[in-house]
Amino acid sequence: MKVVVCVKQVGSLGDEVEFTDDERDVDPDYLDFALNEWDSYAAEEALRLRDVAGEGEVVAVTLGDEDTEDAMRRALAMGVDRGVRVWSDELAGADPITVARALAEVVRAESPDLVLCGVQSSDAVQAATGTALAEELGLPRVAVVTKLELGNGTATVHRELEGGLVDVVEVDTPALLTIQTGINEPRYATLRAIKQAEQQEIEVREPGDLGAPSARVRRMFVPPRGEGAEILDGDPAAIAGRIKEIVEERLKA
Amino acid sequence: MARDPKHDVLFEPIEIGPKTMKNRFYQIPHCNGFGSEKPLSQAHFRAMKAEGGYAAVCTEYCSIHPESDDTHRVSARLWDDDDIKNLSLMCDMLHEHGALAAAELWYGGPHAPCMESRCVPRAPSQIPSDFEHLTYPKEMDKDDIREVQGFYVEAAKRAREAGFDIVYVYGSHSYLPQQFLTPYYNRRTDEYGGSFENRARFWRETIEQVRDAVGDDCAIAVRMSTDMFMGEAGTQLERDCLPFVELCDEIVDVWDINVSGISEWGEDATPSRFYESGRLLPWQKAVKSVAKKPVLGVGRFTNPDLMVEAIESGSLDIIATCRPSISDPWLPRKIDEGRLDDIRECIGCNICISRWEIGGPPLICTQNATAGEEYRRGWHPEKFEPAKNADNDVLVVGAGPAGMECAMILGKRGMRRVHLVEAGDDMGGGMRWIPQLPGLGEWARVVNYRKIQIDKLKNVEFVPNKRLDAQGVKEYGAEIVVIATGAYWATDGLNGCTHDTIAGADASVPWQLTPEQIMFEGKDVPGESVLILDNDGYYMGVSLAEKLARDGKKVTLMTHLGHIAPYMHFTLEAPNQHRILHKLGVEIVTYHMPTKLEEGRVLAAHVYDEEEHEHEFTTDAVVLVTQRRSDEALYRELKDSVGIDALAAEGITGFYRIGDCEAPRLTADAVFSGHRLAREIDTDNPEVPLPFKRERRVVEREAVLA
Repeated sequence: MKVVVCVKQVGSLGDEVEFTDDERDVDPDYLDFALNEWDSYAAEEALRLRDVAGEGEVVAVTLGDEDTEDAMRRALAMGVDRGVRVWSDELAGADPITVARALAEVVRAESPDLVLCGVQSSDAVQAATGTALAEELGLPRVAVVTKLELGNGTATVHRELEGGLVDVVEVDTPALLTIQTGINEPRYATLRAIKQAEQQEIEVREPGDLGAPSARVRRMFVPPRGEGAEILDGDPAAIAGRIKEIVEERLKA
Repeated sequence: MARDPKHDVLFEPIEIGPKTMKNRFYQIPHCNGFGSEKPLSQAHFRAMKAEGGYAAVCTEYCSIHPESDDTHRVSARLWDDDDIKNLSLMCDMLHEHGALAAAELWYGGPHAPCMESRCVPRAPSQIPSDFEHLTYPKEMDKDDIREVQGFYVEAAKRAREAGFDIVYVYGSHSYLPQQFLTPYYNRRTDEYGGSFENRARFWRETIEQVRDAVGDDCAIAVRMSTDMFMGEAGTQLERDCLPFVELCDEIVDVWDINVSGISEWGEDATPSRFYESGRLLPWQKAVKSVAKKPVLGVGRFTNPDLMVEAIESGSLDIIATCRPSISDPWLPRKIDEGRLDDIRECIGCNICISRWEIGGPPLICTQNATAGEEYRRGWHPEKFEPAKNADNDVLVVGAGPAGMECAMILGKRGMRRVHLVEAGDDMGGGMRWIPQLPGLGEWARVVNYRKIQIDKLKNVEFVPNKRLDAQGVKEYGAEIVVIATGAYWATDGLNGCTHDTIAGADASVPWQLTPEQIMFEGKDVPGESVLILDNDGYYMGVSLAEKLARDGKKVTLMTHLGHIAPYMHFTLEAPNQHRILHKLGVEIVTYHMPTKLEEGRVLAAHVYDEEEHEHEFTTDAVVLVTQRRSDEALYRELKDSVGIDALAAEGITGFYRIGDCEAPRLTADAVFSGHRLAREIDTDNPEVPLPFKRERRVVEREAVLA
């Protein structure tokens, strides 16, 4: 029973933000870093599967430079057995498909029974990497999973849909599942586990040929304040009357 | 972060007489237990507010003469040259921060019992005090009037010499000038009593004389109560106060407007239990509508939006704060810097005031553990020394007020990692449910402030839903362990009256309940009638009585004490709480202690009846508010069963307990306990508090003997 869980160190913005000189990213000085929330649920789910099976291994895989090891160590402190980090400088600012290609090499080498990702990362919020990774690995994938039961060569999963609907799916394993928050209660690491994780060796790999990027960030900026807003003034009745006029004008047009 | 422009008006300067305040923040006169005789504590306490951005800071009531001696309560005093020396330190420190210094010149009349000076206070009429029992004044003749007015003038000159920029002729809270204005105190038939002009004469003449003496150098402030809530007898807004403002506006530089008399001054220093912020605004607005001079006043303002509204609506020119400035001396600065979520908001519990009412002890604050500790312990509410042992990891077990405070301060002192581990699913401990008692919603600020701060601290992690046992603590991996597991209400009737349990008491049966069973665990109170036994004497018994009466129960509140909730007299909550319970039909039984609890009835005896004649009280349910007990099981197991040596072998070099887990106490003291440990976590023995500096006269032995 081997589960690979893909984890990411995410940045969160405080009250102020500045961009890097090339205007293609947020200046990291303005970010707080942590393990992506969705990934902590994915890690917990992987640990739960291992613990239920009573044997096996959970391997966390991340992509990033050395500074991103803090998030990986968080997963290790939770009880993940081993960590692998993929990095080369050309991966800075990589798009999800390029990231998936880089991760795929590592995941393939592990030949796991199951691959778990978070649904999305809280900073980029594209929900693309997991799906792209499934494509690269040629695995079936189910997204936004809220419940997971392993069978013999299959998994029964609940998939969250709009409006509170649940889609119950049976999928052949190995498979890639993207895990939704709330599927479990991620465990907290004790100080001892955190200290042990600090000492743990993290394997570092360089990716092979990544091919051409599918997208790149050209510029990041704070959108300029829009023109053309009409600020309504006066007592509530006058404002209501003016809103009525505007709506009627637009309906005609 | 920068100030929100909508708060700009709070930072506009304003002229008061010959002086200019740099912004609109004013610390109203309030007591702290330091007076003129603990001058260093006094100066450092007031200066913290100037450092925090207040434009003017006042003394507490400042006696002008030994005839106005409030001992056992502590006032400032300007009786002689040595008082000038002592209070000048406060003025100098305020001036260093660009703040004005104000002195609230005070003559108490019959409310000042003169227990130290043994003088006889003077008053308009010879009626004993309605506040300080057994104190009779001498009725003033014309010579007395001139003489006392002379006391004001001489004290004002001393205030100027000490460096004060603002001097008061203080009337509010039923002190001498207001006594002359008020029929309840003034039954004279000469030109100082009767008509409005006559009742106003003493105060007007005194203001004139003080102004003539120091008015070129000092702003003249008048503090007036505009409604005593006692009908014709009391001061009235329309009849007395607005005409007084018109009469004296020319000779006054700033009006300080509040309400109430002294015997129910909780109508002014409003507990949050009964009143929201800004309760006094209608009276302040009425005065501002006739005054040409600036108007200032309190309202337990903690929210800058409400402050702005008070100014923009024409109710106030200057925002005065008392309790919010104790809770957060840096209130103006935090508003200025746009750090609104760092404001430690006053919860309106009045535990600060209780210390003045008790007479003697320095003030304390539930929210601000450093209040009053600025000099004697050297604590700054916003600045923290990095701990010498900051390379340690800390485990705090229990996220009640003490645990939260300790974890927060350890975080601010830069400990490597602090884990605040809690069995429940959120922070707060007892303070999760206490704010759900009637009227206590604002007390939740104790939890909310700390939650926000802890969330901001990257080195502090909150771990919910984790009940650690001794093994779990031992193996957690911390070098320092702090146990803060709180306390619980006794389930067997153990109490401070009989020092014994009560026959038949057992909160595991359905018809007997403890406070947390009702408020937190959701245990049903069966039947129609309930008897609450209160041996605690503070808010819990009466709050549950109010809650259950509002829920439709027939409530009997029994206590062995002579009053229900005597501590609430000190917090000024008692009068209105009595009114509420009376209106709700709660039956109050004092001086009684149960001898036996049985299903359907309680047998109780009068505490002073040596024969112990038992009376029967029929009731469907009994609530046991007898005493609290420390929840120390985990601490005892670690210390006694596991042992300090075994903990040391795991790398645990510090093992402490704080708050109610050590001994149940006021929330203010539980918070203090957590704060104190965190401040002193790197001393030789953090378990024992460092000595604090004591301001006392030390005898020069040789000089005395010679």
